[in-house]
Amino acid sequence: MKLLALSGLIPEQICDVVRFTGGVPGTARDQDPRGTGRSEYARERGVAHYCGYAEDYISAVRQDDTVDGAVFPKSCDSSRIMANYLEDCGKFLYQLNIPARQDELAVEFFAAQLEQYREAVERHFGRTIADVAERTEAVNVRNREIRRAYADLEGVSYRAYLDSIHEMLTRPLSEQVVKKDLPVKKGAGKRVYLVGSFLADTEIAGVIEDCGLTVVGDDLPESGRLAAMPEADPGGELYREIAACVLRGRLSPTQDNFRQILSSDMKEIEEKKADGVIFVTQKYCEPYDYLFSVYKKMLDQRGIPATQITLADSGNERKARLALEAFADVI
Amino acid sequence: MAQSILQMKSRLLREYYKDFSKYAKGRLPEKKVAWVTAFVPVEILEALDISYYYPESYAAVIAASNAEQPLLSESEAQFLSCDCCSYSCCIEGCLEQEKGPRGVPPKPDVLIATNNQCNTLPTWWNILAERYQVPLIVLDYPGEAVDRALACEYVTKQHRELIARMEKLSGNQLDPAVLSELIANSERSVAEWKKVAACLPGYEIKPTILFDDISFLITSRCKAETAELYRLMREEIEQMPAAGKDKIPVFWLGYPLWYHADRFLSELLEDFRITGSNYVTWWSLDYSGEDAFEKLFQAYNYTFLNLTQETRNKILMELIQNSGAVCAVTLHNKSCKCDFVSAKNISIPQAEIEIDMIDRTFTDMEKAGRQINILKEVICAG
Repeated sequence: MKLLALSGLIPEQICDVVRFTGGVPGTARDQDPRGTGRSEYARERGVAHYCGYAEDYISAVRQDDTVDGAVFPKSCDSSRIMANYLEDCGKFLYQLNIPARQDELAVEFFAAQLEQYREAVERHFGRTIADVAERTEAVNVRNREIRRAYADLEGVSYRAYLDSIHEMLTRPLSEQVVKKDLPVKKGAGKRVYLVGSFLADTEIAGVIEDCGLTVVGDDLPESGRLAAMPEADPGGELYREIAACVLRGRLSPTQDNFRQILSSDMKEIEEKKADGVIFVTQKYCEPYDYLFSVYKKMLDQRGIPATQITLADSGNERKARLALEAFADVI
Repeated sequence: MAQSILQMKSRLLREYYKDFSKYAKGRLPEKKVAWVTAFVPVEILEALDISYYYPESYAAVIAASNAEQPLLSESEAQFLSCDCCSYSCCIEGCLEQEKGPRGVPPKPDVLIATNNQCNTLPTWWNILAERYQVPLIVLDYPGEAVDRALACEYVTKQHRELIARMEKLSGNQLDPAVLSELIANSERSVAEWKKVAACLPGYEIKPTILFDDISFLITSRCKAETAELYRLMREEIEQMPAAGKDKIPVFWLGYPLWYHADRFLSELLEDFRITGSNYVTWWSLDYSGEDAFEKLFQAYNYTFLNLTQETRNKILMELIQNSGAVCAVTLHNKSCKCDFVSAKNISIPQAEIEIDMIDRTFTDMEKAGRQINILKEVICAG
């Protein structure tokens, strides 16, 4: 059973979900014969103003025969309407409604949904899921390792760090190992903090380093947010614990609480003495576009330079390199 | 003496805009002020005597006044991407410059957003919360896809919590009888509006009147006079000549174009007659239920854009059939991903036009003209 998860808001504790890390076998944007830089599915459907990462996810679910199903959140407009583009793919589909709040009421509601999700998986695949507590502990252990790796971020190649996490997240939980022998970062560059959604194109991380910049922290869902995820008590009220762990970590802008994101990010940026902030956003990803508008003003007030890199197509790296070289000069 | 339609509209509009800066001239509002998105259960606010304003509707007014372009530019200068919903870009520009055809709405004491139409609105409202440093309440409506009992309990608890917070803000105590009466007003407004909208296929009227006058169902649905206004409107429409049969009946699938004098591409649709629109049904909320809380849950959890695709297909097909349309102009709206997918499974020929409901510069009119010509050829050939 291979379920592809779109977002870090899909819990790994219930059953095995592998994280979509970008790219679709045979349909990757860089293999696009028409040079439109868009996934095959998006071209066929004429889906405009739609997040490219979500488009690629749809293509992967539809076209990758090794994928048995898709689990995705209702958390932004691209994910909200995703079922419409997947409904005829003949695979298991499940959408989790991510509460737009993080209080007890939301935790209770999300916990009930998680139980229904487990039941749906059991029904569809004709199997019993009885290892949620063990998986919960395994996620805790894995995240502790990520936390350690994240704490040492400055000393290692950021590109290699991200690649290793991406590779790990494509595996079932029992096979996930946080790599420890990452290449050492050469030299001390200007200190930058990275903000954005899942960085499927890790080449960007390489470009950042090539520009002489050192990533000292980030709030990416696969890195800083995973490292900051609270632990769920496997001996406690299990689904409630998992729900709280998913909803109350470092937040995604889709969770409608910018105030908390700004507060925790600014604290880390200042603690880590970042010289600048790089905001990497996916074209047509409104939650991050909205967040950037207030984030930028807040950084301006603190005298911290910021730049936004928007990833849209196969020309990502070239454009990003130009923008980041200019930014490196500024800071 | 019975009021005329014009007098009723003027009164409702005067009441709504009286605290906007152009008219208030520095006078502070007498009541507490909430800014709300289009599907907030305003019956609760009305019952607690809290004023409420709709920035989205005001963006439409701004575009209709041909004033959106400098405001869209301003919002981009404020680091808000022009890819974002144009309602938000337009309002951000308006607030930044403190400029608009009626000035700016009174400053909010609280912001209330819902996710029962899209997920973009609550995200946008986080920016407003930062601007005004006031509480943001996001009401979370899970929609049709989630188990009804689970959703009902969750939503009802949020409604109760909203009441408690608004009681504290306003200093007023909610009277359940008043809330029930206001919900009954909303039900009556919806019932009368449905009769008005049902006139579109049969009478010689432009959809413009519906696109504009649905605003009262949005901003004043729980006020007693709204139902009466719509009743009078329907009577007036029924005096008009029956619709001619010489033009191609077409369904307008998407938002009105607020910047356009007719609210639709009238210059490209001279051989067509719009006989139906999904937009004019969006606020036809279903307030059925045993008590006030169940009615509010039913109305606001099951808004059109919060339904499953299957249900939306069914509703849309019924609307199209009732309209008698043989084709559709489907708007691929830059600002609304959610609406476009509504049209995924309709089985009549469509022209899919890239458009924005606020930004008049967005559409390639030549291309749109070609698409509509092709649609006409397809229909005539068929």
